[in-house]
Amino acid sequence: MIIAAGAMLGGAGAGAGQWRDGVQVYEKVCSHCHEANVGPVLKGRQLPVAYIERVVRHGNRAMPSFRPSEIDDAALADVARLIGAGAPLVKE
Amino acid sequence: MSSKNRTLPKGVTAGDFDKAMREIRAIVGAEYVLVDEEPLAPYNKIMMPVADAQHAPSAAVMPDGVEQIRKIMKVANKYRLPVYPVSTGKNIGYGSAAPVERGQIVMDLRRMNRIIEVDADLCTALVEPGVTYQQLYDYLQEHNLPLWFSCPAPSAIAGPVGNMVDRGVGYTPYGEHFMFSCGMEVVLANGDVLRTGMGAMENSNTWQVFKWGYGPTLDGIFTQSNYGIVTKMGMWLMPAPPDFRPFCIQYPNETDITKIVDALRPLRIAMVIPNAVVIAHTLWEAPCTPVKRTDYVTGPGAISDEAVLKIQADHGIGAWNVYAGLYGTKETNDANWKIIEAVAAATGGKIITQEQSRGSQALQYRFDLMKGKPNLGEFGLYNWRGGGGSIWFAPVSQAKGSETLKQMKMAKDILGKYGFDYVGEFIVGWRDMHHVIDLLYDRSDETQKKNAYACYDELLHAFAKEGYGMYRANTAFAEKVAATYGPVKRDVEKRLKKALDPNNIIAPGRCGISL
Repeated sequence: MIIAAGAMLGGAGAGAGQWRDGVQVYEKVCSHCHEANVGPVLKGRQLPVAYIERVVRHGNRAMPSFRPSEIDDAALADVARLIGAGAPLVKE
Repeated sequence: MSSKNRTLPKGVTAGDFDKAMREIRAIVGAEYVLVDEEPLAPYNKIMMPVADAQHAPSAAVMPDGVEQIRKIMKVANKYRLPVYPVSTGKNIGYGSAAPVERGQIVMDLRRMNRIIEVDADLCTALVEPGVTYQQLYDYLQEHNLPLWFSCPAPSAIAGPVGNMVDRGVGYTPYGEHFMFSCGMEVVLANGDVLRTGMGAMENSNTWQVFKWGYGPTLDGIFTQSNYGIVTKMGMWLMPAPPDFRPFCIQYPNETDITKIVDALRPLRIAMVIPNAVVIAHTLWEAPCTPVKRTDYVTGPGAISDEAVLKIQADHGIGAWNVYAGLYGTKETNDANWKIIEAVAAATGGKIITQEQSRGSQALQYRFDLMKGKPNLGEFGLYNWRGGGGSIWFAPVSQAKGSETLKQMKMAKDILGKYGFDYVGEFIVGWRDMHHVIDLLYDRSDETQKKNAYACYDELLHAFAKEGYGMYRANTAFAEKVAATYGPVKRDVEKRLKKALDPNNIIAPGRCGISL
């Protein structure tokens, strides 16, 4: 069985510039540290959107930077907005 | 950018640079070319103990296909622009997405993230450089394919092509990643597209199943080098075993490393234990548990042996913690489990099974890595010292107990001299060990940064004097590490560079290779 010949991916296989929304970015990238006792907890801190965006692009100490080719501006804006608003981002 | 202080490639005028950028914008689209300082910031985030400016890019370009790369190569040759390709750019502690030399143009391949083919019968995949392990994992899950891959610790955000090209390692039976790659597509400096192995033949359908092709096997020269831009890679996937039994064996004493290695080596060579065994020191486990260093150390300097013993006692961590797994059927694993139990009993080790590991963060991320499930649990290491400083010191050792003890003592002594802790592990290949040490320091502290550089330098040269070479190195030390391998090898590398890239445009300086 051969699958995926030449196909760009959607759904769970989505990659750069193809994120469904900020929830997916959080689940597939941010949560690996920020919901795993590695990076600081973000929810409930009312972090400003511009601050989150800056830290993601520049990195911060041990936190890696993320390029627009990895997380495009729209997806970053969405995840920053959701974190800032304290939206539920993981299944609890 | 109009600033007088703009970063430019070495030997390229501002006028030529601007002209080249205009031509590259026409190829990839203006939104995929970055030249200003602020948007370039993500390409200059490093953890190495040198100034950011040393690895500042002049630009970043983001092609989305081979044809665009070929056209960019033409422009690069015309203006003699050095281009530094990165895939996912998450080679953290080895250089990340920053170029090896200041002023190089980062060619960011992250947009090329197609999983081109998965053959579920042959258990192979063909992927582009921007594919992450998380993406591949999700893809296999979504398509209900019982196939596993091997990934390194930063797996969720890193990807198979970049890791294989840097000859990284992972933790499943396919843990020596280059060994389990099969076929590459490479854009050469002149724009030609080379397919290695069987891929060179038109209409071949054996590119991902037979590595060698006819004549010299070329794949190796495109790893840890700058002879081409790898745009596709074949990789072998492992059928998910009917029974997977990961385990940890803890040992109480630092000197136990001798008997651990000598007891495990025969099992590894005979493939009773098929995966890359990890032997992790207390201070690798502690940050991932997590344990706070500040609870055990006050003031500057390396942690004391007494404090390390206290951590072991307080948190149930071994001096050494062996991670391995059995991959087979219930019947074969039952039989091999008896061997593991006997070896542990004979060497004074305490076995922790998956069932007994519940609730342990350190064990869980290891057990997940051993089945190729991406996570970032190991980033807990960076909380140990804090401050975002990390470089990997990674010498190769024979898989012999006496050698590993010697290397551990040498490293610990030199690290301690500079006030750093021994945070190390051994990853067992068939006959070798990758001795991987995370030199953790506070990068916001200039003294620690300076000491970290001097410490790595001394480690490198002290180990080289004993005949121990690096398996991989960060970009700041590329030249020095290359020099430890002697002049003849370097001369051949240079001659290859001259033949394949006479204008020296692909990542000059990478792994010490330049014209």
